[in-house]
Amino acid sequence: MYIIKNAFISIFRNKGRNILVGIIIMVIASSCAITLAIRSSADKIVTSYENKYPVTVTIGMNRANLTKSFKENASSQEEMIENFNEIEPLTIEDIETFGDSDYVSKYNYTYSVSLNGKDIEEATDSLVKETTTTKTETETKTETFTNPAPSRGDHMPPFGGDNGGSTETKKSTTQRKTTTTQVENIRNERASKGVFTLQGYNSYEAMSEFISGNYTITDGEVSSDFTSNNCVISEELATLNELKVGDTITLVSPDDERITYDLNITGIYKENTEEASDMRSMFSNSVNTIITNVTTVKDVVSKDEDFNPTVSPTYILKDKDDIEAFEKEVTDKGLSEYYMLSDNIETIENATKSIISVKSFATTFLIITLIIGAVVLLVINMINIRERKYEIGVLRTIGMRKSLVSLQFMFELLVVCIVFLLIGAGIGGLTSVKVSNKLLANEIANAETDMDAINDNFGGKMRDFRPEEMGITQLETIETMDAIVDVKVLGELLLIGAGLTIVGSIASMVSISRFSPLTILKERS
Amino acid sequence: MNKKANVVLRLEDVSYRYKDAKKDEYVFKGLSYAFEEGKVYAIKGKSGSGKTTLLSLISGLEKGYTGKIYYRDKDLSKVKLDKYRNSDIGIVFQSYNLLVHLTAGENILLSMNINGMKEHHKKEYVNSLLEQVGLTKEHAKRRVLKLSGGEQQRVAIARSLSYHPDIILADEPTGNLDKETEDDILKIFKDLAHKENKCVIIVTHSDNVVKASDEVFELKSTKKKD
Repeated sequence: MYIIKNAFISIFRNKGRNILVGIIIMVIASSCAITLAIRSSADKIVTSYENKYPVTVTIGMNRANLTKSFKENASSQEEMIENFNEIEPLTIEDIETFGDSDYVSKYNYTYSVSLNGKDIEEATDSLVKETTTTKTETETKTETFTNPAPSRGDHMPPFGGDNGGSTETKKSTTQRKTTTTQVENIRNERASKGVFTLQGYNSYEAMSEFISGNYTITDGEVSSDFTSNNCVISEELATLNELKVGDTITLVSPDDERITYDLNITGIYKENTEEASDMRSMFSNSVNTIITNVTTVKDVVSKDEDFNPTVSPTYILKDKDDIEAFEKEVTDKGLSEYYMLSDNIETIENATKSIISVKSFATTFLIITLIIGAVVLLVINMINIRERKYEIGVLRTIGMRKSLVSLQFMFELLVVCIVFLLIGAGIGGLTSVKVSNKLLANEIANAETDMDAINDNFGGKMRDFRPEEMGITQLETIETMDAIVDVKVLGELLLIGAGLTIVGSIASMVSISRFSPLTILKERS
Repeated sequence: MNKKANVVLRLEDVSYRYKDAKKDEYVFKGLSYAFEEGKVYAIKGKSGSGKTTLLSLISGLEKGYTGKIYYRDKDLSKVKLDKYRNSDIGIVFQSYNLLVHLTAGENILLSMNINGMKEHHKKEYVNSLLEQVGLTKEHAKRRVLKLSGGEQQRVAIARSLSYHPDIILADEPTGNLDKETEDDILKIFKDLAHKENKCVIIVTHSDNVVKASDEVFELKSTKKKD
């Protein structure tokens, strides 16, 4: 089409005008490229984080309901404990029933039971020294018998003196030993009886402590055989008992020492949590936790009916929007009101909060840039059109249709837009990484200030402060964001370019439709 | 000779007044005239008599008249004026009205493109048009601002001829030119009328043009030259 050729001639022969328009578009494009790249990167990071940390739902005690119910129905603490013991614990069958859901992509669980050790010493920094006090009362009776002398009176001085009579003394001693023991043991039956916690997992995926890096194997491995009597023990327990990979440990039932269980050690792990470096404790929390598989724990539980094992399930949902529906389904399937579902949405959202905040800022900046850019471009184009009135007049006079004149002008602007958009995108691409990371750094610093402020609110002594559970960003989670001008961003930029071209061309279209060629040419003359 | 057959443009009771003028304040009123092929017409009149306005109405650049204007029996109010301007009439202005960012050749070529001509050897055709108006192919490559007034006017005439229109409308085409150039331009117009059977209508103040024309149409009265 001749208008394309004509447009290119016009662009090249009116360089000054087009470069001016181009510079404006380039500045808009650079800003847009930066903001779009930040938005795009933020989306990728959030998606990546959500994929890495899927939406999980766990089942725990609903302590609010529990306390409310106990307060209404129990008159004493003893009664409360008895009521608590009456609550049906979750079973593996329950977990499997709940897991059989369309909302669940997969699920896993841990199965724990407490045991004592045989020839294996627990790691502890507190000992209960049992002292039996026996109260012995000793009563000594001394009976003195005196034979009075014939020449003296009945009353004799108490000391000395010999009155010529004879005295006989008789001593008798009685010992009374009293031991009274009256123990009424009212206890939570779910509380640990043994000193070791045998924790069974049904898959690698269930071993969240290892996945998160809280536990790491220092020797050996976590066996992939989830059916044999294998276990991993803590580094401290291994050192204390001089155990190594390949050794066998024997655990016993706390209720009946005749019931024993042999476990082969396949690995030694250490705990890397902040709690593990707590200087108040000699050992880490996990020191007496022996990690094995669910099959082994089931086997152990089957040998002693007095065990009270605990099951902790984790359901991985297909979509975060399914949480409410899954909760309803689980309740319909019979989950007691004393249990409740907890999800990790807040943790995920908090971890990505700083990124989303940067994205939100970028969006606002993008909108402002586009509005200002569009207005500036419109004004510049209106000025250009006034300059080109004569050209419009001539083209219309020699019979060019209004629509074609508009199309040519629009095409010219589009070409200038695309060329300078690409230049702007290049500049934006080069600067977007630094700009976005700088912005993120500021966001992290702001969040840190928020955390300090919250600490101060609590007196600054919150040793167990867990920001992710209090709606505060986990700052360490995402510290850098590399914004990249990729195909998607380029596509968005081109759309913006098309939008700007249309907005900019409105001026020319309106002018062309309003201008009378004769009037233009008369003005010129 | 069937005179009616040669009429290319016909005015029937054409009146015009400006939009903001009083009800009875006409620029001209009740004009009727027939323009024929093969003749040069001069439209003359005092300033403000409506010469240029009449030319604008004939060229389809202005509307709002009463009466009828016919191009070969087609009512102008019912034809597509863009197409009419780019195929049936060629317009030449006093101030040339060429696109200054284009060369002489490109100006002519653009006009041909707008018309949609399927000329295979457009460049050669442009050169032949320039030759027809007394320019060379070297002029084709020059930007119009590098040409003299006379040369620009020749380019404007060549442009108006590029798509073979029946009528050439010229508004004071020699107004900015010297006598010698004026004569050259008038010769071109006369040749177009007499040799190529075009109808050339020139709005002018120039006696020289009036003398060179075959017929003079004076606004408010039509005088036929002896």
